[in-house]
Amino acid sequence: MRKVALVAGGMGPWGVRAATLRDLIAEGAKAAFDDNKNIRPKDIEGLLLSSAFPERNCFQTHTAPLAMEIAGITASKLIGRVELLCGSGTLAIQLAYAHIAAGLSDVIMVVGAEKLYMPDKWETYYNMQAACDRDFDNIHGLGVPPPLFAMIAKMHMKKYGTTEEQMALVSVKARKNGATNPHAHFRQPVTLDEVMTSVRVVDPLKIFDCCPVTDGAAGVILASEDRAKDFTDKPVWIKAIGQASTHKNSANVPGFTSWPNLKMAAADAYRRAGIKPDDVDVAATHDCFTISEIIEYEDFGWCEKGEGGRFIEAGLADVGGKVAVNPDGGLLSCGHPFGATGVRQAQEMMHQLRGDAHNQVKDAKIALQHTLSGFVSDSTIIIYGRDE
Amino acid sequence: MMGNERYIATMDLFPQEDRDHNKLYRFYENLRDNKLTTTKCRECGTVKWPPRSVCPECMSENLEWIEIGPTGKIEIFTVEEVGVPEGFEKPLIHALVALDGYPLTIFSRIVDAAPDKLTEGMRVGLKIIEIPRDRVTFAFKPL
Repeated sequence: MRKVALVAGGMGPWGVRAATLRDLIAEGAKAAFDDNKNIRPKDIEGLLLSSAFPERNCFQTHTAPLAMEIAGITASKLIGRVELLCGSGTLAIQLAYAHIAAGLSDVIMVVGAEKLYMPDKWETYYNMQAACDRDFDNIHGLGVPPPLFAMIAKMHMKKYGTTEEQMALVSVKARKNGATNPHAHFRQPVTLDEVMTSVRVVDPLKIFDCCPVTDGAAGVILASEDRAKDFTDKPVWIKAIGQASTHKNSANVPGFTSWPNLKMAAADAYRRAGIKPDDVDVAATHDCFTISEIIEYEDFGWCEKGEGGRFIEAGLADVGGKVAVNPDGGLLSCGHPFGATGVRQAQEMMHQLRGDAHNQVKDAKIALQHTLSGFVSDSTIIIYGRDE
Repeated sequence: MMGNERYIATMDLFPQEDRDHNKLYRFYENLRDNKLTTTKCRECGTVKWPPRSVCPECMSENLEWIEIGPTGKIEIFTVEEVGVPEGFEKPLIHALVALDGYPLTIFSRIVDAAPDKLTEGMRVGLKIIEIPRDRVTFAFKPL
């Protein structure tokens, strides 16, 4: 296996955007090229587009060549779209990594783009119904998970004594971190009281416990060891990847308050990277809901099982804490355009390890990104290192 | 939208259920008989939810239908107040229902119930619901 590095990355403005899918793709690709002027479209040998809902929200399929054309690329080695709902972006980077590591290509771009906010809001929610098992879950109006995570929150509260205030603190941290991120959907800090008194969506989750409906794109460029050094003197190395999936249908969830797919994928990634949980300096985890981030502290091994609420309360997930979790604001502040999220996480981890992030974690050497997808079905993880 | 006369095929939340379109049509025919069913492999005995047209253990297509439920108890529930999808009424009650007599817990909608009257552990039974284009679906209701 050859070594592979991130050599460029960036994100466009995220929010409710006056932009089509093709506009967003252009922003994601431009952000990556703008980050490193040594790389031009002619250097790119292939492109993977990460997008979950283009057929549904944009009536567009065969989207990867569209992205390629917009980015000014001709693919000589690889072209395609990757879909794993919320995990699409992280998976696209994993596949580009594997392609380069296997020696099949040297320079691949990954663009994540998602148009999620529809002019008629009902359509956004309705289209999200496509995410669950259509014949046997969607029939109950289950859709993408606020009700699921509400029930997970209730179970975690019952089992471990986690409180609504502790969950709210995850939102307070996300908004504080997002305040310095010029691309985030929400850049206004919120107080504990504001989160606690915000509109109830699905009990016990309030609106600030949930990531918003957001349009956006991001882009990264991966290169083989030899080519990476042509482009930058600060490559960020992919040390390991891990991925696991346990189920699709809601009846087959093996765990609600602890996620076996996350634990499997993390164990694999830690082992391949040769690191322990405590070695992680900075992480982009999947804070689709505040309770998710609390469970992730636990399942990644940064604290004991059931201690996630106390982990956030003690400030251990802050920049300057034990592990800086989501220093760019995460999904709660940046928003969650499904296909773009993993690519947003990757470029943020790259900036953190290069030392030029907006909310820089001091002397970060090891970074981890994680996306969770579906009905807490799949975890897709990448570990990065500053040093070769 | 779902209740409208005009049928937009690609926006249809529910599957085609009849024998001309779906190999699992018996599931829906059984619902019409007030029975919640799934498949059991006649070769290796594997029972899975949701029902299958091919056994995921031994790849046999020789499957039979067995009844599950139709009663159970609410393990946990929540009430959705914002973002309820088109075609469903507010408040939308979601619950994990542990079925009697078969080790299966499924997410389902709870209907014919006032949210403030629901409790964990409450007994529920199968409720068949008619949906547009002469189809049926299921939920649970308090017993």
